[in-house]
Amino acid sequence: MKKILALILALCTVFMFTACGGSDSEEAASDGDQVTLKLWCIATESDANRPAYLQAIEDYEAAHPNVKIEMEAFENESYKTKIKAAMSGGSAEDLPDMFFTWSGAFLGDFVAADKVACLDDVYKNNYTSEQIPDVMLSTTTYDGKHYAAPTTYNIVAMYANMDLLKEAGWDHIPATYEELTKCCDDLLAKDIIPFGCAGSETWCVTEYLEPIIQKSIGYEDLNKIFAGEGTWNDEDIKKSVDTLQDMIDKGYFDPSGIALGNDEVKANFLAGKTAFYQNGTWNTGEVADADFEAGVALFPLMNADRATANQAIGGPSDVLAVCADSPNADLASEVVVELGKEICHYNYLNAVGLPAWTPDYDTGDVKPLMIEISDIVSKCDGMTLFGDTAMSADPAQIYLDYVAKVYGGEIDGQGFIDGLTKDLQ
Amino acid sequence: MNRMYSNRVYIAIFLLPALVLFCGVLIAPIGASGYFSLYDWNGLAGKTFIGFDNYKELFTSDSIGFMKALGNSLLLAGLSVFLQLPLALALALALGNRIKGERVFLSVFFMPVLISTVVIGQLWLKIYNPDYGILNVALRAVGLDNLAQIWLGNVSTALPAVFVPILWQYVGYHMLLLYAGVKSVPTELREAAMLDGATNGQVNRYIVLPYIKPIIKISVIFAVTGSLKSFDLIYVLTNGGPLHSTEVPSTLMISMLFLRNRYGMGSTIAVLLILLCFGFALLISVIFKEED
Repeated sequence: MKKILALILALCTVFMFTACGGSDSEEAASDGDQVTLKLWCIATESDANRPAYLQAIEDYEAAHPNVKIEMEAFENESYKTKIKAAMSGGSAEDLPDMFFTWSGAFLGDFVAADKVACLDDVYKNNYTSEQIPDVMLSTTTYDGKHYAAPTTYNIVAMYANMDLLKEAGWDHIPATYEELTKCCDDLLAKDIIPFGCAGSETWCVTEYLEPIIQKSIGYEDLNKIFAGEGTWNDEDIKKSVDTLQDMIDKGYFDPSGIALGNDEVKANFLAGKTAFYQNGTWNTGEVADADFEAGVALFPLMNADRATANQAIGGPSDVLAVCADSPNADLASEVVVELGKEICHYNYLNAVGLPAWTPDYDTGDVKPLMIEISDIVSKCDGMTLFGDTAMSADPAQIYLDYVAKVYGGEIDGQGFIDGLTKDLQ
Repeated sequence: MNRMYSNRVYIAIFLLPALVLFCGVLIAPIGASGYFSLYDWNGLAGKTFIGFDNYKELFTSDSIGFMKALGNSLLLAGLSVFLQLPLALALALALGNRIKGERVFLSVFFMPVLISTVVIGQLWLKIYNPDYGILNVALRAVGLDNLAQIWLGNVSTALPAVFVPILWQYVGYHMLLLYAGVKSVPTELREAAMLDGATNGQVNRYIVLPYIKPIIKISVIFAVTGSLKSFDLIYVLTNGGPLHSTEVPSTLMISMLFLRNRYGMGSTIAVLLILLCFGFALLISVIFKEED
């Protein structure tokens, strides 16, 4: 009995040591000519991009039987944590071959740490600038090298429930700020809440604040500020913040919104509880399918001296990239660009985003609301990438904290520009 | 067997796996956190040694707000000790007196501990929903419309609104610990006291409470260190918002590590959390020892 006990304990000891060791069996994930590539993304079941991802993967696997793509989707916010943790501490086995990322500074941090494969050869050998315009790669180009493939292209748009607007006596979306405030007053008089905004997700508040700032100081100055080359200490930024708070104080925003998430605020708009919803154009499919006549426009011009009406917040922020440490990095680089192109294709047809890649397919079935947005973008004379994407993580979070304080009424326009000037410059 | 125990080689061999695991899982990460806390590092590119600058910044920077987060945790610890534990003790004493349906009550009170925190978070999110949440609906139904709030969105109500489910969830946990203690009190002691004319309250005061003091100490340590480490329910309910009003050191640490890419600062918060937990555990032990 004693010997058996000693033997069991010794076996446990050996097992514990071996359990700590690594396994090489999963390394290459290949079986003969068959190669399996792992893809991490945020196209969860509730994400509007998911059908495009699934269709693009299915198409690619059908055309390339030796390649299998294993897609794993994570919720948006938790994905930010996961990808950063994996990139900072993970070995090649912990990382996917291909991954979704936001462009600008988010991807830039990974590129600076040599974690991302360069895609220059793939673009040079297989694609022309007619297929993918240089401007669409600008937010993923670092030191003149391309590191990702855009899957879509989106701007911030102001969706409107035209049925509710008509109830308030409006047959068009207000084109000027004066018209907008008049329209909001008319809506309130009919007990209709004009706007909804998710306070628990600060990026949603930026979808309101950034267009107002851009329409006050112009896209060039805002780009400079986000790049750390301009100053927040600008009287027109102060006025923009005060304008947003004035709208909140007048009751133009659903007061419940401060505690709600974006899904709930969007659901309120789709259910006809609010008249306007200002957010990314990835929502177009859902808005177009709602049980009301939908309209879309940009937030009106605030200051004609520095900005124009045809400027927008947005850009190709959703992209796919390849882990530099992937054992199949070359193949993954080819796959990721083709996947990006095809996801973009299906996203456009599904009205989930604008085409970053020039369409080479029949666009006859694209939803009219998406075509309206395409027209708006075609007239755009300036763009600013989303602030939290354009700025690197630490300043972006400080910026978001100040935006949250604005929405919560803790600071006014002066506090906003003073605080950001002190903390970021 | 005695010969085997006396053989130091055997002892060393059999202790080694546990020692390796203990060092690998607990000691090494603490050491690594201490090391990284001395660096300015974004978790990806090269590190810069900055000594104790992270510690200085943590206690002085308004934009980080560590003191506010620590204050929230200490407030939660205070509420746990002076509200949650007395409630748990009262339940344990009541159930320990062999009341009818003892097992049913025990299961019911312990149930929140068994339910996933995320599920509880979602449940309370629905309760607090400003439009259809049962809390506001009930207040409006009894004519107290002016008390209906945006509970989790209002800076002044968010913190208490978050504390309620945290305290509620773990009442059952402490109750079970204390109940086990109450049940371990020898029947002879109770009966002897009763024969001497002691009331139920006197038995609890003079027999049961002194007897279960070691368990009360453990409960207090768990309540305080648990409050300092609290994370999951706050993350689900408010994620530290609105305007950082419900921030605690753990949510701040996650924010530093994964939102602001400040791995050095995140490690600094981790080190301070460990020190605080050890410090409070020691302090509580000393207080209880002095009382003895």
